[in-house]
Amino acid sequence: MARILVVDDESSIRLFYAEELADAGHEVTTSASATEAVEKLEGGDFDLVVLDIKLKNESGLDLLQKIVKERHEMPVILCSAFSFYKDDFASWLADGYVVKSSDPTELLEEIKRVLGKKGATRPADA
Amino acid sequence: MEWECCWSLPEITSRDCPYIAEGEEDLFTSQRKRIIARCLECPRFRNDLLKLQGENNPLSGLLNLIATELLDQKARLHSMGVFLSSKTREMRFLHELSLVLQTSFNLDEVLSVAMTAITAGKGFGLNRALLLMTDRDRQFLRGYLGVGPRNYEEAWQIWREIGENDLSLRELARNFQQSKLESEKAKFHDLLEKLSVPLSDSNHIFNRALGGQKPILVTAASPPPDAGPHLSELLGVDSFLVVPLISRNRRIGIIIADNCITHKPITPQDVQLLETFAFPVAFALERASLHERLQEEVDKLTEANAKLKVQQELILRMEKMALVGQITSGIAHAIRNPLMGIGGLARSLMKTLPETDRNRESLASIIQEAKRLEDALNEALGYADSLHPAIDRWDINQLISGVYDRQKDKLARQGVAVDLELEEGLPLAYIDFNQIVFCIRALLAGITETEGCDRLSLETRLQGDAIAIVMEGNGPPLAALAGDRGYPPDIPGPSENFGLRICMTMLEKQGTPCTVETLPEGGTRYTIKLPIRKENR
Repeated sequence: MARILVVDDESSIRLFYAEELADAGHEVTTSASATEAVEKLEGGDFDLVVLDIKLKNESGLDLLQKIVKERHEMPVILCSAFSFYKDDFASWLADGYVVKSSDPTELLEEIKRVLGKKGATRPADA
Repeated sequence: MEWECCWSLPEITSRDCPYIAEGEEDLFTSQRKRIIARCLECPRFRNDLLKLQGENNPLSGLLNLIATELLDQKARLHSMGVFLSSKTREMRFLHELSLVLQTSFNLDEVLSVAMTAITAGKGFGLNRALLLMTDRDRQFLRGYLGVGPRNYEEAWQIWREIGENDLSLRELARNFQQSKLESEKAKFHDLLEKLSVPLSDSNHIFNRALGGQKPILVTAASPPPDAGPHLSELLGVDSFLVVPLISRNRRIGIIIADNCITHKPITPQDVQLLETFAFPVAFALERASLHERLQEEVDKLTEANAKLKVQQELILRMEKMALVGQITSGIAHAIRNPLMGIGGLARSLMKTLPETDRNRESLASIIQEAKRLEDALNEALGYADSLHPAIDRWDINQLISGVYDRQKDKLARQGVAVDLELEEGLPLAYIDFNQIVFCIRALLAGITETEGCDRLSLETRLQGDAIAIVMEGNGPPLAALAGDRGYPPDIPGPSENFGLRICMTMLEKQGTPCTVETLPEGGTRYTIKLPIRKENR
């Protein structure tokens, strides 16, 4: 089980991710904007961030750089509606990438891979 | 009165005069011609004049005076004739020379003609000529070419060959250019090296000849103080001529000419002729040099144009890709997010419904249709992506040169000396151009920002089935290349240096990791190997 911060400006997607990740045994917190995400990161203790590249009036990649700069041990998985995100080289700072889908399997597997690599999972009662 | 000479006879035979040679038969029948051509010089005629004198003929003194004066005039005419013939030969020679010098743009051809003219018997006939030219920066007068034998044996051989073939000056020059120019350069290399002088040394005899725009003749009897024994020893002669080559007040170079084999004195006539000759030579040399430089500039421009064309095509391609990317990403975003919301929430809702709920069938349909639409979208986006593959064949030297050109001003400001050594004729590498450009830029910036780095070498070379890009800096290894996430575990990485971290990820994903070696003599070497075959990726 891990503490995951989901950052996406679409409420339906936040809701979907929250339910699916919770079902998979994770503790999920959601943010609708980068500003809100920064506040939550400062106040909470997270193991991983699931981050949308395109946020309303904000760039997920700017938030990614901020996280890497200030919390360089925090893994980040980028979620994008399109596969061209790698054309922006800033996206290469992320630890994992998934293309958004109504089937959460790929995201769950990517979370497992990244957390496994970092050894960042916690005991269920933590 | 009986006359000994035949001057009084209108017509004579060979018995009357022994001084008329074969081929001069017209003198037998022409009294006037005979008197002027022969009788005036004939001892019999002199005897006849003495006879007249003995008879106290008042005309004898006058006749004697006229005859002597006529003989003087004749001798003067003869000498002028000889002089005119010699000048005519010189004019022909200079005309032949100037024809080549005025029409040739080829530096080697001009040099060959000029140097052959000085040393060939059909030209000025001096034994040896050495040419020194001002360098491009106009800092030095450097030895450029020497022509002539270095010893008597070689001289004998050359003169025998020339004698056997009886070639014109132009043919000699052509032969020289084709078969001897390069070997003569090598033959006199050591001497030419030693003769080089800085143009700033205004007291040196070479610079004085250039400054005074007049030839200087050095002889054993009158060595100029600055020529000294050193120069004579170097040349191996006591007597030599230094001729300046000046074109429109520009110092082109000098010619040193001497008779190192025959030791024949250099005459004032030689000096005058070479001085006259030096003007067209200097002009032709300057014109040929300028033409050569112009050609170099044209070549550079042609190459730059070709590169520009490639770059334009690349930009066009990138713009198309960017446009396609923009359109498709817009579509993707507009469709995928709501689609994901619909399909995802239907999936979540489904989980909450009991197995018997009759709405499950409808929800399953929604999930299935959403998935179908997602698949169709993926297929469309995948096709758009495949139209413009990121990985292609690229010229690595062009890539490196391009990156370096954009960075060189910055590197110069940082005080970093860069040595660029790109192997010619490399095959194309199979890479993602943008990613490799990004990586090289990131590495260059990283290496040159390490402590104490003020030297960088950038090299490309073929290594088996790969092209190696080797970067060496004299600074310590980049800390950002260590550690799992790009930084050493306990040391925070440089906050702004995301570039290196991205670079490492990219190179790893392309299967071309950067190897780092600490050099024993100090400094660090970074090597990236890029595949040249698709199957090696």
